[in-house]
Amino acid sequence: MKVTFPRLGSMHIFCKAIAETAGIPYVLPPETSRKTLTLGVLHSNECICLPFKMILGNFIEALQQGADTIVMVGSGPPCRLGLYDLVQKVILEDMGLHYRWLTIPPRLTWGAMWKNHEETKELRKELSAKNVLLFPYGLWMGWKKMMACEGLERLAMKVRPLEIKKGETQRRLKKALSWVDEAKTAKVLEEAIRRGKALLEEMEQDHSRRPFKVAVVGELYTVMDPHINRGVEQKLGELGAEVTRTSWFSTHILRTMRKNKADRASERVRFFEASKAYLGYDVGAECNVSVGEAILRSKEGYDGVVHLMPFACMPETTASGILTKVGKEWDIPILTLILDEQEIEGRIQTLLEAFVEMLEWKRRAA
Amino acid sequence: MFYRYFPFWKIFFEGLGWSVKTSEGVRQKEKIVYFEDSCLPMKLLVTHAVQLREKVDYLFVPRLVSIHRSFIMCPKFRGAPDIVRLATERKVSVIDETIDLRKGGVSFFQSFLKIGKKLGASKQESKNAFREAEDSFSRSRKGWMDRINRLPTGQLFEVNIPTPSEGRNFPLRVAFIGHPYNLFDVDISKGLLSLAKGLGMEIVTSDILSEKEIDREVSNLSKEIYWSSGREIVGSLFHFLSGGVDGVVFLTSFKCGIDALLQEFIKRRLKVLGGPSLPLLILSLDEHTSREGLMTRLEAFRDVIEERRSDSQIVV
Repeated sequence: MKVTFPRLGSMHIFCKAIAETAGIPYVLPPETSRKTLTLGVLHSNECICLPFKMILGNFIEALQQGADTIVMVGSGPPCRLGLYDLVQKVILEDMGLHYRWLTIPPRLTWGAMWKNHEETKELRKELSAKNVLLFPYGLWMGWKKMMACEGLERLAMKVRPLEIKKGETQRRLKKALSWVDEAKTAKVLEEAIRRGKALLEEMEQDHSRRPFKVAVVGELYTVMDPHINRGVEQKLGELGAEVTRTSWFSTHILRTMRKNKADRASERVRFFEASKAYLGYDVGAECNVSVGEAILRSKEGYDGVVHLMPFACMPETTASGILTKVGKEWDIPILTLILDEQEIEGRIQTLLEAFVEMLEWKRRAA
Repeated sequence: MFYRYFPFWKIFFEGLGWSVKTSEGVRQKEKIVYFEDSCLPMKLLVTHAVQLREKVDYLFVPRLVSIHRSFIMCPKFRGAPDIVRLATERKVSVIDETIDLRKGGVSFFQSFLKIGKKLGASKQESKNAFREAEDSFSRSRKGWMDRINRLPTGQLFEVNIPTPSEGRNFPLRVAFIGHPYNLFDVDISKGLLSLAKGLGMEIVTSDILSEKEIDREVSNLSKEIYWSSGREIVGSLFHFLSGGVDGVVFLTSFKCGIDALLQEFIKRRLKVLGGPSLPLLILSLDEHTSREGLMTRLEAFRDVIEERRSDSQIVV
């Protein structure tokens, strides 16, 4: 048995940690590249959303490298994510690739438990007692690493607009993340986090700058994965904007586990409430949150909002229509970027430069 | 979902003493209002709303969350009333009662009671109007196939025009599958159904299938398709592809999220199962689709069907 999983932002780091600590063999899908995307595009059609193509590409590459078991999060209606597995299974089957599929249920219901039981029947035979025993420790390790990655990324978002040498933050962040990735025990991990933080904080910074505050909102996959959004976060930071986002793995995991009392998860509730002026019903996925966040960020004195969505995403298309109105009525610049497989990195750079320039004018006029 | 429930809605509102005005559509002269970058049906909804803005007291855009007891609609419908409200600059009051049949059949009735209340009708009046509307709806569902085949598409939903008792005979029987608005809206399908009839195709739609027949086709999938329209499309496609008709046409609108995903699913599944046994034509519609382009595709499709027929006769 060789497990594989989709690649999303820094997700591979902690998925790997879970498998590694529990001693389960795994195949890490190669870093998402042009080739990954091309594979995904080739085997789907133009109106399917970009995350679908990316994940499919990841799976194809991993299966070709010898993986045989796919672990994928499940999701529910009304977004298309909930039916990814149905379609991807058929596509892989049609391509003649052999695989086994394990869904992580989005909600713990009896139906989901039963399905999980069915799916793991075969797999469990291949696991040794050691694997099973170590699995909770693996999960814990994975969680720790996830929090570590998020902490480092947050710190990087803060210091990036102040960096003197352009691109320095990104280099240091990469290094720090690789330390976290390499840590095998809890003790080493602690050390890695401490060193990583210090590395970012010690960077030469220009504290006289007044960075713009920009919130990145939108569909979670496009917000979280730098490959899909072509490094919007990094680009904005290097242009002198302090980026905030509320889509993190931990928020989504806590949310599905109904731990809404945690501060970050309850932020979503706040956004949701704010969106009610425009949306009378939960449209699904991140739509309401995107709208609500834009409104609240405007109230909180943010300079701008960047809205990311994959082409033809159903809930976010609705959000983008409403956001144009929100921008006018709340006097906050909103830039909507629609992403698909086209090579648009240069265009995004230009758009973001223009956006930041506009923020500058706005600040000067005020 | 005008194109399925209009007989219901019209009678309900008329029963309450309101006159019902529908927009005239876009045809060729009017411009489409681009409020958001959505699928064509959604853009048309906004366009129609803007057209009607000055002419009506209330605009009825129900929030269709679910029209089936366990399955839901496309998420765009959930935001539709809000989009319409913003696109019309909040100048017209929108009746946006939520319709969610997952809460049980009673909630459907209650939604309409609430609408009635909003329009100042008493409970009894709404109740009567609702009953009448239900009757009108089930009547309209009865000879629906005959109506499609015997009336021009534009008149299908004119409740007062009776279905002609005699139709002509068609040499071919072709199933047209898709969301009702893709099939029946002249602005979307560019009158595809009349074109097909002109080519001697008798039209069959998923409306003639019972829910059971559709369920049979989709119940053995590894995961439940949770959109009611998606189920209907996939179920009826597999149903018709297994026989009973000469060919199947699948109409989708460009950027429709549901269709895009399911289209891929259907194609792949057919391939895995060993290819379709019948000719299948997939047409993707948007505002650039032209009548002539569709005509060519349909003619070619007819030729394929006829070729196939004569081939099989030789073999037999």
